[in-house]
Amino acid sequence: MVISVVSGKGGAGKTTLATSIAQVLNAEFYDLDVDAPNSEYFLKPEFNREQSIYQPIPTFNEDLCDACGRCTKECRFNALIKIVDRIYLTESLCHGCGLCEKVCPQQAISYRDSAIGTVRSGYSERLKNNVHVGDLKIGSTRGTYLIGELVKQIVPDQMAVIDGPPGNSCSAVAAIKPADLVVLVVEPTPFGFHDMEQTEQILIQMEKNYLVIANKAMNEESVDSFFQGRSKKCSLTIPLDERYLKANLDGDILSSRFSEVYSSLKSAIEQELATI
Amino acid sequence: MTRQIAILSGKGGAGKTSITASIIKVLNSVVAVDADVNASNLPLLLPHDTRSTEPYYGMDIAHINQQTCNGCIICSEACQFDAITRDSLGQVWVNSECEGCGSCVFSCPVNAINLVEHVGGEWFLSTIDNGYLVHADLIPGEDNSGKLITKVRNEAASVAKEKNIPYIVIDGPPGTSCQAISSITGTDLVLAVVEESLSGLSDYRRLAELIGKFSIPHFVLINKAGFSPEIENKIHAAVREFNGELVGRIPFDRKIPEALQGLQSMAEMNEYRKDIENVLQQLLKALDEIT
Repeated sequence: MVISVVSGKGGAGKTTLATSIAQVLNAEFYDLDVDAPNSEYFLKPEFNREQSIYQPIPTFNEDLCDACGRCTKECRFNALIKIVDRIYLTESLCHGCGLCEKVCPQQAISYRDSAIGTVRSGYSERLKNNVHVGDLKIGSTRGTYLIGELVKQIVPDQMAVIDGPPGNSCSAVAAIKPADLVVLVVEPTPFGFHDMEQTEQILIQMEKNYLVIANKAMNEESVDSFFQGRSKKCSLTIPLDERYLKANLDGDILSSRFSEVYSSLKSAIEQELATI
Repeated sequence: MTRQIAILSGKGGAGKTSITASIIKVLNSVVAVDADVNASNLPLLLPHDTRSTEPYYGMDIAHINQQTCNGCIICSEACQFDAITRDSLGQVWVNSECEGCGSCVFSCPVNAINLVEHVGGEWFLSTIDNGYLVHADLIPGEDNSGKLITKVRNEAASVAKEKNIPYIVIDGPPGTSCQAISSITGTDLVLAVVEESLSGLSDYRRLAELIGKFSIPHFVLINKAGFSPEIENKIHAAVREFNGELVGRIPFDRKIPEALQGLQSMAEMNEYRKDIENVLQQLLKALDEIT
């Protein structure tokens, strides 16, 4: 069972809820917010393993390359440029598609692996389970690829929680794809609702089971009135409570510190899991 | 000459959009850009009048001519993205994984594949009280938001040039990946909004490292402050470490999110308008000093 925690809007509380849900379910944890991973501040894992994640990129055999420029014309990602009589690669733009290798009339191009990031793994005493954190190399544009590679490492049949990236683009899709259940976190503000509706479109298109949790609610009424008349109801509303904000600053897992968060999350998730 | 300010944070929800809207509202004349194209919220805070709507074409994607295709599936072997599959009837299809690289087009022995235009969203040119707003909506789940960000920024630059508007202010996306890079490239300075939290600090460090690669000066506004002097001190130390400059501090105050519920920014709040003006003055002064 894989549970992905996502939200269109950033700062809605994905990491807060993902770490809590993992604690409640005693699940293995995957931090896939690869360009801003923060779960470790709450889970405090002892990292004992680090592996690099690679994507294939082209290299040029200078003896064979006559700088004809065919590869630079064919590359759709503008990753190759010709300056005087040499071809240069902008690694951060390369998608590793392999086209340049195929089109090169001199067979001067071959592919090798290049690191785009790392995944650190370790055991969290607080979670009583393993934690994996993806770190995209700063400046790399290949976050979606890194997420895809990390997802492949999820062992089927284990209980796993994914802390996804914000937004509604390809990287969010990559973090949603492996999920059996998606937890959609909404900040109940005009912004949060706006972004949530876009994420919902993705979930519906991908035919995902999902539940909605409102977090940082200023008042219950605004949540109720928003969900009134909508087919999807809000399973749980967590208030904007300064005690919760302080716990966050202390690096606490919210459900470990507050029993009401533990029990309400547990029942909301279990209820939904029972329907799958 | 038009100057460009990008407002980013690394961490989502730090207050980028509300601070961006506040700064835009205290400027006399501005072109506003919402570069958070897959969670576009700036237009919600800026009363605007949309003047034009244009389709946005993302990467072209592969299209298979079913009449010509012989089902040999060589294209599928050439595709690195598992974007081509053959169904039980032997028909070959391109799925949503296609990144538009063209490897399949090149490999197809019967020339059955070509790349076709693909609409990935829309972009809009709107007027606001004190200038223009260029914004966009990526179709949820679409790829290539970096390209759309470049598109809206180019449009903003041409509007600013044509109308002789001195400032472009960009509301950036969260994170430090492709979308953040597209939002920073070619700007004159970055304002980093840093939430006073462990995550806010950590994401600021990543953002500052990214900004450093561009050799663009950056300024820091601490937001939602007041809970933890310890974390605030750590943010101060990080700002020094990355050669940033602190331009202000907004406390955590329930009145701010309450005002936002009613779509009012800090520029409309008597107790905070001065703070916003003060931040802006420092940014404008820094822009004047850039030669």
